[in-house]
Parts: sequence; structure tokens; C-alpha cells
Amino acid sequence: MDINVCVGSSCHLKGSYKIINLMKEAIEKNQLSDKVNVSAAFCLGQCTTGVTVKIDDEIVCGVSEENFNEIFAEKVLKKV
Amino acid sequence: MSDLCTEIGYKSLNKFGEQLCGDMVEVIKQEPDSYVVVLADGLGSGVKANILSTLTSKIISTMVANGMRLEECVHTLADTLPVCDVRKIAYSTFTVIKITENQEAEIIQYDNPRVILLRDGKNFVYPEKEEIFDEKKIYKSKIALKKDDIFVMISDGAVHAGVGKSLNYGWERKNIIEYLEGIYKKELSAKGITNILLDECNGLYAGEPGDDTTVCTIRIRQRKPVNLLIGPPKNPEDDKALMNEFFAKPGKRIVCGGTTSKIVSKYLDKELVTEINYVNPEIPPTGSIEGVDLVTEGVITISKVLEYAKDFLADNVYYSTWTKSSDGASRISRLLFEEATDIDFYIGRAMNSAHQNPDLPINFNIKMQLIDELATCLTDMGKTIHLKYY
Repeated sequence: MDINVCVGSSCHLKGSYKIINLMKEAIEKNQLSDKVNVSAAFCLGQCTTGVTVKIDDEIVCGVSEENFNEIFAEKVLKKV
Repeated sequence: MSDLCTEIGYKSLNKFGEQLCGDMVEVIKQEPDSYVVVLADGLGSGVKANILSTLTSKIISTMVANGMRLEECVHTLADTLPVCDVRKIAYSTFTVIKITENQEAEIIQYDNPRVILLRDGKNFVYPEKEEIFDEKKIYKSKIALKKDDIFVMISDGAVHAGVGKSLNYGWERKNIIEYLEGIYKKELSAKGITNILLDECNGLYAGEPGDDTTVCTIRIRQRKPVNLLIGPPKNPEDDKALMNEFFAKPGKRIVCGGTTSKIVSKYLDKELVTEINYVNPEIPPTGSIEGVDLVTEGVITISKVLEYAKDFLADNVYYSTWTKSSDGASRISRLLFEEATDIDFYIGRAMNSAHQNPDLPINFNIKMQLIDELATCLTDMGKTIHLKYY
């Protein structure tokens, strides 16, 4: 599975740094390092809705510290 | 245009407790590529010294720049300078360096510590001819310039640094030469050398300079063009033309902005790889594209570069941050402030949807303003700047 976290201007200001750290921690905690590849991406074109994360071909917008665990469970854990 | 260019950086420390500096540096540029640089040190300190050195540096630089003979300059000075009531003399020491077309340096020295010339990082003893004008002993030199020559002009405050404090007899010229040889690195800018030496003097004075202290560095260096592309063109049909122009230019290339780097990646048909590790949480990670020297995010990174640029021209407290860190803003700063001599900006004027969100503190006008301000700062650093809008 490939996960891209947007680090463009807009997402950066909405907290890309925190989301990347949460993502790395969650992947380590669930021992998914060999199944999931996390990388950064410049602008994913969904700027107005918060931190954007691309999980394989699906674009998930508005990721925040609050909803991160829910999104991770739904979009990553279930599918990997 | 020769492939060498002249870079000048100077700074003064005021005598502790004084509002005004009695040392003055005056730089006159003569198009296309010649400079007259004067360092004058007025008798005493405070207002009187400030007036003497201001007059001296202005008069000499203007006269030398206009091709007047040295004798005339000295006469004019003696006739013009106000006479000190206490000491019954009118007096300001001075050093003049005239750089002609990056090929020849002419030095005229009157009573300041002798100019230090580093050639390939080592002290170079240059010939001097002694002449007497109006009972003033003046040393004249003519030197054919070489790439990487560094001239360091100092006022006597630098040589006296530490007298009675950390050093009994102050810091002699030979100690300053040893120090300069020790810190020498080919890539150090004129401003960088000036700041490092002046900081050392300030340290020797324990932060309370006993005299006005000035360092002025002139560096003869290879021209280094750098091209910086930021923002997609207003009209997407112009992408190709802009890319053709940007990649036709010699020199290093910096691409700023997510959308912009995608256009470049498509044009070069090379993958855009984005770093995931934040070096500094404040600054978005950099990217890379084969064929481009540096790829970064746009407006946030540039606003940090502007902050560093303003600081570099003023208090210089972030110098050790941006000269060492590997985040995007620091890397751009090093390329623009230290490496580049000629910088071409390619500025795309497309509105970015990312910047139209009213919740965000960035917008199109801010981006244009950032670039204007950055260009002004870079001009103040002595760089040749061109701005092109698309």
C-alpha cells in the first residue's frame, strides 16, 4: 500500500508535519512497515479542505489529529 | 563582461556607549564593473569623529571616482575638514581601494592599519610605494587581481581589540592575518568574512568595544548565475515557453512551489520525489527532480528566506542556522546569499487555489510582495537581480 501525505503550502499550514508523525507511529505500532510505504507529496490539488492524504488511489481530505485514528482504522487497517 | 565580479561587505561596531560611529565606509559603483571603496576613521569618537569620517569618505570617494589625482584629493580634504578645537588638527585616516573592471586594484592608504590581502586563502605581501603629500605619508599599491582575492580593510579598533581586557597588547595585524587564514573557506562571502571577524573583535572587547571598529571585505569571485522559478504562468499555454527559457540559462536552478515543480517534472519527463522528513517543522520538506538543483515548496519557504535575508542585512542572528541547516529555506538562502552573484527570478502569476482559502495567511499579493522584498534585499547584498513575470 502506498500512502502520500501532502506537504504543499496549504496542507503544511494545516498540520502535515503532525499527520506524518502520527502516520509513522501508527504504522510502526501496527507493524505494517513492510506492507505500507509512506511518502510525502507536493500539492495533491485538494487544497481547501485541510491535510490531504492519498491512500493508493483514494484521496482522503481533511485529515486532522482528531480524526486520524478513525481514518487510519477505516482506510488503512481494514484494507492492508 | 568579465567572468569575475566584485563582492563587498562591511560593518561597524560603535565604541561602547556611543550612538554614532566615527568610522565610515563609502562605496561608489562605476558602471559597468568598477568600484571605489573608502574606509575613513575620524579623530576621536562620537559626533566629531562621525562628521570627520563622513566628510572624508564622501570627498575622497567622489573625487577618486571622478578620476581626480590623489594630490588634489588630499589638498581638498585638508582645506575642507573642520579643525578640532581640542587638538588643533583636522584629521581622519583613510584607505581607498579602487577596483577597475575586476582586473586591477589600486590601494591608497593613510594611517589606517594596512589592508590585508588573502590570495588563495594565504596572506599575500603586495608591493607598496611610499609618497609624501602635505606632510602626510601615503602608501600606494597597484595589484593585478586574481580570482578569489580577498581584501580586508580594518579600522584601528580591530587592531586594538582586547587591549587591557582579554589581551594585553591588543590584537595585532599579524594575529588578524592568522585568524583570517584560519577561517578562510573559498565559499565564504564578503559579508560572511566581515561578520566573523567583527564578532571576534567584539568578543575580544567582551562586548564593550573600546573604539569604533570596522571591517570591510572585498572579494573577487567567479560570477555564479542562479535561476529561481516560482509559480505557474498566468496562462497555462505559456508553460512550455517558460520552461524552454528557464532551462536554457546557464547556472544553478531552483524550483519553488508544488504545482510549479509538477510542471517542471512533466517538462523534463523526470519523476518528482518529495522528501518526507521535516528538518524543521516550520518549513515544508524539499523535493528533487533530476536536472534541477533544488526543489522546494513555495510561499512558506520563500517567506522564511526573506526573514533570513532581512536578518543577514541587519542583526545577523540566524547566520549559523541557515548556513548549516538542510531545510528548503536554508538551502535557498545559501544558494542566493552566498553562492550566487547574478540571480534571475522567473515569476509565474497564476492564482493558486491553495492560496485562495480565506483561512490561510497567504495569498497571491503576499507572494508577489515577498518576491519584491527579497529582490530588494538581494540587491542590497550586492547581487545583480532580474525579475521576469509570466
